[in-house]
Amino acid sequence: MKFIHLADAHLDSPFLGLSFLPSNSFTQIHQAPNESLTQIVNVAIKEKVDLVLIAGDTFDSPRPNPSSQLFFASEVERLTKAKIQVVMIFGNHDHMQKTDLLVPDSPYFKLLGNSEKIETINRQTDSGFKYSVTGFSYLNNHITIDKVAAFPAKNANYNFGIMHAQEKSGKSNQNVYAPFNLTELKELNYDYFALGHIHLRQILSEKPLIAYSGNIQGRHINEKGAKGCYFGEIDERTKETKISFLQTSPIIWQQVDIKLNAPISPTDLQKKILTVTKAKATTYYSLQINGAEFLNEKERDLIQDSQFWQMISSKLDYNSQLVDIRFSSNSQLEVASNDLTYFNQAKKDVFDKNNFLAFCKDWVQKDEFASQLIEDENFLQEVVQLTEVELNNKLKGISDEIS
Amino acid sequence: MKLVKLKIVNFGQFSNFTVELPNSHLNAFYGVNEAGKSTIVAFIKQILFGFHLAKHASDFFEDYKPLAHVSPMGGALFFKDDQQNDYELERLYVSGRGSKIGTLIVKRNNQVVPENIFFDQIKNIDGDFYADSFIFNQDMLGKIDKIQQSDLLEHIYYLGAANSDKLIDLRNDFAKKASNLFKKAGTVPPLNRLLKELQEKRINVNKAENEFIIYQNLAKEYTNLQEQQNAYEEDLFDLQKEYSQLERLENLIPSYRELLELKDQVKPVNFDEKKYHVAQTLALKIQNLQENKENLQQRIDQLGKVADIAPESKRILQERPELLQWQSEYKNCKQEEYRLQEDQQELLAISPELNKIANFNQAEVINLQRDYQKLPSIDQVSEKGEAQNHNFLFLGIFLIILGLILFVTNSKIFGGLILITAILPIGWQQKQQREQRVAKVNEAHNVNAIKQQHEVFYQKYGLSSTQLDLTGLLSAWRQLQLQKQKKATIIQQEAELLGKMQHLADQISKKLGVPVEYNFSAVSEALNQLEEKIAKINHYSEVKADLQSNLIENNELLAKTNALLQTELTQAQVENMTEYANQQVKNEQQTALKIKIDLLNNNLNSDIAKLKELTQNAQAFTDQLTTLAQKIAKEQKQISASQNKIAEIKVKMATLASSTAVFSAQQELANTQAQFKNLSAEYLSNLSAAKWISQALNLASNERFPKMLITAQEYLQLLTNNRYNDIQIEKKLAVNRYDGKKIKVQYLSRGTSEQLYFALKLAFIEQIKDQINMPILIDDSFVNFDEQRTEQITQLLNKVAQSNQVLIFTAQANLATKLQRQPLTFTRGN
Repeated sequence: MKFIHLADAHLDSPFLGLSFLPSNSFTQIHQAPNESLTQIVNVAIKEKVDLVLIAGDTFDSPRPNPSSQLFFASEVERLTKAKIQVVMIFGNHDHMQKTDLLVPDSPYFKLLGNSEKIETINRQTDSGFKYSVTGFSYLNNHITIDKVAAFPAKNANYNFGIMHAQEKSGKSNQNVYAPFNLTELKELNYDYFALGHIHLRQILSEKPLIAYSGNIQGRHINEKGAKGCYFGEIDERTKETKISFLQTSPIIWQQVDIKLNAPISPTDLQKKILTVTKAKATTYYSLQINGAEFLNEKERDLIQDSQFWQMISSKLDYNSQLVDIRFSSNSQLEVASNDLTYFNQAKKDVFDKNNFLAFCKDWVQKDEFASQLIEDENFLQEVVQLTEVELNNKLKGISDEIS
Repeated sequence: MKLVKLKIVNFGQFSNFTVELPNSHLNAFYGVNEAGKSTIVAFIKQILFGFHLAKHASDFFEDYKPLAHVSPMGGALFFKDDQQNDYELERLYVSGRGSKIGTLIVKRNNQVVPENIFFDQIKNIDGDFYADSFIFNQDMLGKIDKIQQSDLLEHIYYLGAANSDKLIDLRNDFAKKASNLFKKAGTVPPLNRLLKELQEKRINVNKAENEFIIYQNLAKEYTNLQEQQNAYEEDLFDLQKEYSQLERLENLIPSYRELLELKDQVKPVNFDEKKYHVAQTLALKIQNLQENKENLQQRIDQLGKVADIAPESKRILQERPELLQWQSEYKNCKQEEYRLQEDQQELLAISPELNKIANFNQAEVINLQRDYQKLPSIDQVSEKGEAQNHNFLFLGIFLIILGLILFVTNSKIFGGLILITAILPIGWQQKQQREQRVAKVNEAHNVNAIKQQHEVFYQKYGLSSTQLDLTGLLSAWRQLQLQKQKKATIIQQEAELLGKMQHLADQISKKLGVPVEYNFSAVSEALNQLEEKIAKINHYSEVKADLQSNLIENNELLAKTNALLQTELTQAQVENMTEYANQQVKNEQQTALKIKIDLLNNNLNSDIAKLKELTQNAQAFTDQLTTLAQKIAKEQKQISASQNKIAEIKVKMATLASSTAVFSAQQELANTQAQFKNLSAEYLSNLSAAKWISQALNLASNERFPKMLITAQEYLQLLTNNRYNDIQIEKKLAVNRYDGKKIKVQYLSRGTSEQLYFALKLAFIEQIKDQINMPILIDDSFVNFDEQRTEQITQLLNKVAQSNQVLIFTAQANLATKLQRQPLTFTRGN
């Protein structure tokens, strides 16, 4: 038996931080998740897989564009026409009713576990290999209870589990996506557990197999690298399962670094950037400039400008783009040696989570997006780095002035 | 540092004025208003940090002119430090000389030392720092609402990190940048604007996402409309069915009317089809018999005419053998004739000269004989000619005889003819003889011309006299004549036979009624015909007999059948067959009528009741039709409207199906979020940088600021008797009341706000005392305090005085008493 596991297509979802791109690139970006899905369907048909598992968040919204729905419906129809069983669940983004779907009825299409009820279907492949798929769909954007306990015990068939969920964590406010305990999930001992929600592809357990397929197309720089789906092959005799990753995303996000140890001329900086942005496919680069304190404010402003990015992009292959530049500091703060200890301690204090949250409170409370950002480690790191760069740069000014 | 003595050379209204301070903790100066309390305060501050002779305005209490005309101006302050070192600070200004801040001489234990020996002890603070931190008066207290964290911090941090002032500036820059990017209650800063934009973009996304609902609703509406349309169509179908039913009924009305008419036409008929059939058969039989009768009669009549011919004909038939005999004889004659002819020709062929005389009669032959013999040399020619003439003569005789015989025996005509013919040769013989005689006369007369005579002979007979064998020739001629005679006989015979045959032919011709040719075969054939005719006549007779017998039978049967028919007719009560046939026609008409009625009945069958009703109430029927037509029109209108609506929805759905509004709206939101994120990073980094610097300064200053705040709160609680228990110093100063209510300093009562000021400043002094310990100068600062508050501040000052020397200048006598100190009393001018 062959199957495909995909999740988090987030059709119609926006790309972050690309508003400066020319419109043709933008159309390409908009189409990227669709293209990725089409690619997956192409593979499924070509490889004559028996089953396609879609582990939630197919749409970015519970009220997606009808055009996205129709696009998805047409892709599913391609599969069902090829007599490929499709089993789909809703995730926290597309928490909908089955009736909201525009996918036409077909014996080969199953929306599993409508209204958050755990449901099992039993099917068999053309070769007569019997399998079950158990899972549930979101109806609301949060599911706070652990659903694993309610999953039925493994039956005689090959058992697939499918779930859009996040592992339990200490922070209670994050345990709202059907939080599960990996040990308990392993104890279920299903043959393959297809997970969705986490966009980073990862295998949580080899035995039994529990995996996130990740999303099918990265949407911002924190969703780096190749994206696509898992392609699974099951030895029908032993039920032994092998999965391999298939890249289908047309665009890859990648972070590259350069390091500065001294002030640098714009031309040299450009050369340095081009040495690290040699694309082998359409790639969107985020450039980290380590030692940005060697750039003055004006220089920093200049290279933070999208015109500079487009100038670099025009020299990249495969229609690749430089879409982001981040600064980080490379050297110690230039303060009196006696005070360095205080500054280092002060950094720890300031960026202590609680302290930071306390003084960001006004900002955080203003908007839900701000409160999302404050939870985002990447963002926090960016803030820390930027603070370092700016402070260091200013301190340099002071020390230069005094000396 | 404790102030132990102050010595005024010239300052304000004081000249040569020295005060010993008895207490290293708390000293009270009592003096009425204008006694010079504030001048003392100013003196202490200015001796320490310089005179204010310059034009520039000072914030407070120094804003008056010293006695400029008194010179030198100034005096000295005497301090004792913790290590019991004595410091004397003397500052003098001689008018017109040196710096306007005066010239300072510092002595330590009576030794002149560099001034920093003293000022290092107080961390090189400046006059502002001292005034801000250690001097309390009404002006300062009035500015409580202007106290900012930064002012306090600046002073505190002054004790910590290097370049703290620059760091504070930097921190302020960062803070300002942050504040420019975002303000808690702002609308203008870019982040605030972006926040608003985020809200708007979200609303847009929400709106765009509504497309889904709209689409769903449209789809639902589409289905509903489709169903409704189906219902309409069903209704319409029913209506149309009903309508067509009525229309059908309407169309049936003529048929129904016809049915009614036909029913009227139905009459009972007594008619037996079988019997009619019998009668009909009989009538037909009669007819046949009648026809047969007539036919028979006719045939009999025909046969009756031919029967007379028979008897005479039979006799003629009996002549057939004779005819055959005649025919045979005739045939023999013909053969004989032919043979004779051939013989004749043979003769002629043997003797060519014969040809010349073949037709000579006896007389001519004799002439020839004679002519030949008369020829001189050769006589034969005369002889010959004579013989020939004889021959002609003989022929004539023969023919006369033959003619007579024939005339007598057989045919008078034939015999007559032969007789006439016989005269010719005789005549010819006579003529020849006459000529020969002429010739002989001529010959005799012409002696010389014997040859001429021969020539004449030749000329006459065509015979060469010289070569002529007259005897042979004459013999041949006789033979020929004989044959000719025979032939004539045979021809005679033939004519007789023909005559018989012709007679018979005439007879037959008469009987047959047709001409018969005169030849044997034709006659024989005619005989055959005659025979056939006779046979036929015989046959007809027989037939006629049969026919007559048939006729009799027929007539009998006819009579019998007629009787039978009559019986039938009687039974059927009709006169004759015609009447009967009429009855049958009528019957058939009724049957046809019945069939028609049945057919109509069948066709109308279930509708008859309704049709009856309809025809009885035509108006109601018309009304019903009209109503139905109207209903149908209405239904059709509805369907058309619904179809239009469906089409509209379809268009809308199609538009939505190709819409990318959600993505666009989300992308716009995402773009704003990206902007917000970037700007927030900048904001947060600026904010963090400010905090970072602050914290570093805090740490460097041993966290004096937070500690100071705690102390200040304690002091405030003490001063307000726990009425206020929390101080918040950020940008603006505020306090929390016992009930948790936060009150900004400008809304506090004057007394409370002054208490707050004391709490803060005293806490600050407490905080820096290990680094900077200077006397606290309180210049008439309790005027707004009631009894209780004065009590409380007194307590606090006593506490503070344990570490810092406190100098209280007051015009309130009772306060001095309360301080339980003997006040240093001074009056104006001393």
